[in-house]
Formats: sequence, C-alpha cells, structure tokens
Amino acid sequence: MKRVSVHIPCMVDTLMPNTGRSVIRLLERLDIPYIYHTNQTCCGLPAYNAGIVPETKKVAKHFINVFGRDEVVVSTSGSCVNMIRKHYPEILADEPDWQRRAADLSSRVFELTQYLVDVLAIEDVGGEFKGKVAYHESCALLRGLGVSEQPKKLIRALKGAELVEMQHADTCCGFGGEFAHAYHEISEEMVAEKANAFLASGADVLTMGEPGCYLNVSGYISRHHPDKRVVHIADLLAGLSDSQGC
Amino acid sequence: MKPQTHRYKEIAREQMTDRRARGFLDLLKALAGKRKAAYDDFPDPDAAREYSRAIRAAAVAHLPQLLEQFEKSATRAGAKVYWAADAEDANAYIVRLAKERNISYVIKGKSMVTEESGLNEALAAEGVQPYESDLGEFIIQLLERPPFHIVGPAINIDPQEISDIFIEKGVMSDATTDPVELGYAARCYLREKFHHLEMGITGINMAVAETGTIINVENEGNIRFCKSSPDIQVSIMSLEKVVPTMKEALFMLRTLCRSATGQKLGAYVSMDTGPKKQEEIDGPSELHIVILDNGRSTIYEDATYREVLQCIRCGACLGNCPIYGKIGGYSYGWAYSGPMGQALTPLLLGLDRTKDLYYSCTLCRTCRDVCPAGLHHPRLLRRHRQKQREKDTVFHGSGLNVREEIGLRGFALAAATPTLWRSAIRAARLAINRKSNGGIVREVLGKSEGWLASRDLPCIGSPTFNEWFRKNRS
Repeated sequence: MKRVSVHIPCMVDTLMPNTGRSVIRLLERLDIPYIYHTNQTCCGLPAYNAGIVPETKKVAKHFINVFGRDEVVVSTSGSCVNMIRKHYPEILADEPDWQRRAADLSSRVFELTQYLVDVLAIEDVGGEFKGKVAYHESCALLRGLGVSEQPKKLIRALKGAELVEMQHADTCCGFGGEFAHAYHEISEEMVAEKANAFLASGADVLTMGEPGCYLNVSGYISRHHPDKRVVHIADLLAGLSDSQGC
Repeated sequence: MKPQTHRYKEIAREQMTDRRARGFLDLLKALAGKRKAAYDDFPDPDAAREYSRAIRAAAVAHLPQLLEQFEKSATRAGAKVYWAADAEDANAYIVRLAKERNISYVIKGKSMVTEESGLNEALAAEGVQPYESDLGEFIIQLLERPPFHIVGPAINIDPQEISDIFIEKGVMSDATTDPVELGYAARCYLREKFHHLEMGITGINMAVAETGTIINVENEGNIRFCKSSPDIQVSIMSLEKVVPTMKEALFMLRTLCRSATGQKLGAYVSMDTGPKKQEEIDGPSELHIVILDNGRSTIYEDATYREVLQCIRCGACLGNCPIYGKIGGYSYGWAYSGPMGQALTPLLLGLDRTKDLYYSCTLCRTCRDVCPAGLHHPRLLRRHRQKQREKDTVFHGSGLNVREEIGLRGFALAAATPTLWRSAIRAARLAINRKSNGGIVREVLGKSEGWLASRDLPCIGSPTFNEWFRKNRS
C-alpha cells in the first residue's frame, strides 16, 4: 500500500486540531502507512483568491518542495485539493519547470473521502455513530472535485448511522473565506439557511468535508443552537472525541 | 442608467429585510427546478449544454469576422447597420432618427443593452417619450426603478403597488390586484399607442452572420408588435450577440429559453431579415440595426476576459446564485445583476467603481455549472481581484489599501517560510485565545464584528495539530 503523505490544511492545524488527530487515528486504524511533513504551511488559496498571484507562486513552490516527492498526498479539504490540482499548474504556467512539477503532483493529490473510496475502495472504516447524519455538499468537493457519493458511502457504512436527506444540501453555506467577514451580513443569511435546513432534517449531527464550511456552520450553530452538533467528516469517521478547543 | 455600484452593501442590507423581495427570491429555487426539468428533455442534457457553450466560444473567437459578415448580410437584405462606439453614440443616432422625422414617442421592447446605454433618458431629454411595452419594464418605468432581474425586471413588485401606480399614471381607473386585469390594463393603454406608432425600438437576442437575420425571443408579443406595427424599426445589440449560422442560432434558442424561464421555447420567436420587401404588405420600411461596442472591443482584446462576451443574458446564473438569492437585483447597482453582472459590469464601468461586485462572492461555482454560454464566473471574478490589486490601467484597477497589501503579503511570505509561519500562529494564538471561554472565541482585540457578529470561532489549538504531532508522533 502506498504511503500517504498527510496534508493538514492550515485551518485544521490551528482551529480544528482534533480533526487532524482524527485523520491520524483513522489511518492508523485502517493500517494505512503515512507520513506528515512538519514543515508544511498553507496551500496559498486565501492569497490566490485575494488576487495576489506573484506571492501565491512562492507559497505554491514551497508546497511543491515539501510534497513533491510523495507517492500520494491526502488532504482534509476539497478547496486545498482544488488549489493544488487546478490552480498550481495555472499560476506557474510561465515557469515551465515548476509547472511540470505542479502538474506531476496534481494527479497524486486527493481529498480524504475520495482517496478512501475511489482509490483504496474502502467504504467501511470500522467506525460507529449512533444517530441520524445530514451531509452538507461543500462547493469545493461537489462542484470542484465531483466528490459527493464517496462521503455518503462512508457515512452509510458507519455502524448505527442513518444518512438523512437535507434540503438544499448543495447550496453554498456562505463561507467564501474573507467573504464571510467582509460581507458578514449576507454570509449570515446564507449560513442561517443552512442551519435551518439542518434543524429541519431531524439529523443529530451535520457533517461535511471542508474546514471552511465547518468553521462557518459550526460557528453559527454554536452561537444560535448550541445543543446541535456539526462535525468534520474525518471526526465522524474516526469516532467523535471532544469538540475542537485549546 | 446611473451606476449605484458603490452602494452595494447598503442596498443589499435594505433588500435583505424587504419581505416582498425575499418572498420572490425564495421562489427562485422552484424556477431552478423547472429549468433543470426543461434540460432533462434533451437526450443528453450535459452534451446540450456543452454544445451550446462551444457555439458561443467559437462565435466569440471569430467575433470580428462574424460581425463583418453580419453587416454585409444585413445590408444586402436592406437593413441599415450603424456601428456605435459608445452609449452616447448609439443614443445620439437613435434620437437623431426620431427627431428628423418629428416623432414624439417610441415604443420599446425589453432590452438590457438600452438599460446599459440609458436610451430612455436620452430620448426623453430630447422630447421623445419612450414607452416600455414589456409588462415588467412598463411597470418599473412608471415606478422609476431599475430592473430587479435581467429577465423579470419587476418580478418583485407587489400587485397592490402596481395597481396604485397604474391609477396614478392614468393607465387604469379602478384598483385591482388581479394580475390578469393589471396586464389587460397595460395592454389597452399601450394598444392605443401602437396604433399610431411610427418608430419601434427593440433589443436583439441573436444576430445571424450568415443571413443577416435578427432574432428576438419573448413571451408577451410586445416585441413583435414593436417590430411590425411602425414604419421604422430600430434594433440594438451589444456586439457579442452574433452567431455564425441559422443552424447554430436555432440550437441556441433551445438552450436560451430553457435557461431563462425553464421553457422549451419562448411563446414568441421573431426573425427579421431586412425591412419589408417590395412585394410584402407587413413590416417596417426601414430597419436600423445599431451594433454597440461601449468597451467590448477592449474586453475582446484581453484573451483572459474574452469569455465574458459569450454571455447570452439568460439569467440562469442569477436564479442559481445563493447571494443573488439573498440580496436581489438592485444591490448590483446597474443594468446587469447576479454573477453575469459581477463578471461584466466591472469591465464596462471600471474595477475601481465596482469592488463589491467581485469581492462579494464565495466562488461556489454554481453559476459556472448552469451557464449555457461557457462563462467561468469564479475565474473571471478572481481575475478582477488580481487586476484590481495590480492597478491594471486598461480596466482601471485602483490597488489594495495599505493594510490589505501588508496583510496579504505578510500572509504569503509566512506561508512560504515554515519558521515564520509557526511564529505567526503562536502570536495569533496569544491574541485570539486571550478572551476565549470554554474553547470558544467571541471577541478578538476587543471587537465582536464581522464574522464574530453572528458566529463563534474555536480558539487556536494549544497545541496545534503540528505541535501535537511533533510531540506525539515524530
């Protein structure tokens, strides 16, 4: 089995460290060999989305230097995977050597659920969750990577879990990075709608594969419906531990 | 139309509390379903969308040649083609036509490009009264409001408000909120004007290069009326509306109607190739086709922006945009709203005047997925952000402010330098976790605004994952 190089997105590293630990627990439980490069930072997506391209290139090069020789890279964020797969080769287009390295790396980078289901053909991760689960289709996974069935298969295979329908599951939650702060009133309307759909679904827990969506929806739920729970899918699969915290 | 793009946040805030607007916006989701159902009628909906995109991409790739070919074909058919460099030029041409013939009023079919050019204001200023004949446009003209939606301009207006304005402006005398009666009142009012109409003005959905034909799609029949009842017809289009052949035009009609209203075809499709021929008894004796540039040649010259010109104004991106769905059309401050407006308006008005249009987006890609014309809106908006930052001279980028510039540069520098990155996280942790309570942060540096106004933030891990891993696994 290929050794997985674990990419822990910056938001997971800092604000959701338990989710990072869930990934490790999951890999260890499934006997998947892994490595974690401690000199990893951020994929550069926030800078790229803000339009500062020359600086983003330097971040991309750092990422390629860190991960470039790995057999396979697995990340807990669809938007990071999109950044690496699609945007690295674009922004490095005027530097052929770097672009070649970026293109070479891009085919070896996967989102966690995508890697488990599509590459390793694992659906039952040996986990357990007693209750109803709603799944939010994050934009970067659904429309960016075409990942939708993979997480659902993993959820259905959890012992005791029942995947329930949620209205408008594929509508954006209103995160959008800086958008959620700069246009917080609009963002709040969007996340409130997502929260209402979750409440109406009757699910015990809402899960998703994207750290940005997680911070947005869980932040709103924590403020307005503190009795409800939102979890990143890595946590759900590994078995829920304490909530994120310091 | 006077741009209000600088008032985006203010208008959005106002619209989010407007109950009527919200009621309509919530209905949009149902229209999205209807649209999808109409596409499912194709043997292969994805292939149909791809073909439609390919037609638009090829048309824009050959735009100069196709426009020249169109001019030749249309002229051969007897039409007069006028190239207008900008809005003023187009308006002056049309005003001059009316003035030369002592025309006191004109009737218009719905046309977004005349919203862009401000034709109504130009006509009125010269004493030529324009009457909008699309029911929605007719209503917003009386109310003096901008269009709420590029396809349904007055779709958010309450019937009571329509009744009131119809009485106030003498369209009808007895109050009613029955939509059929309101429509009938407008129809009777306009019918009288159509009887004596000398000049009709319409937009153009498609211009066919091969034949010189102009095509209009509608559901009310008013455009056909504008084209058939007067002696002079003026049809105006922005220069990207051309397609190579009738075969492609007919296919584009199928995707345009499905994407706009979820119909397989609009109720009326009219095609005009030149004015009335000698042996014919109906139609105008003069057909003027105004081709408006208004900044589009400049867009064409930029290879990364050219795809903006593929847009066919169907409105599918508006109906599916989660942000349009909250703030409605007024917030975008000009003729074009939703993702297509966010892509196009900054290029026509300048990046410096339209910042909110390209920053207020989560880049969710829903617009791109439903677009039958092949626009990749998120990529275009990211490009706007890039050009704004680089102070692009062609599209008037004004740069970031010092704080943003320093913040982003610092972020990128740290992200490329692991030791700096780790120290930055430690510093941020000190600031952010100071006021944390039970792992939850509701205030940073004494402030609870932006994100924190309505959402909590977890505190920064102590240890972070990286710190935990170094200690426990490596």
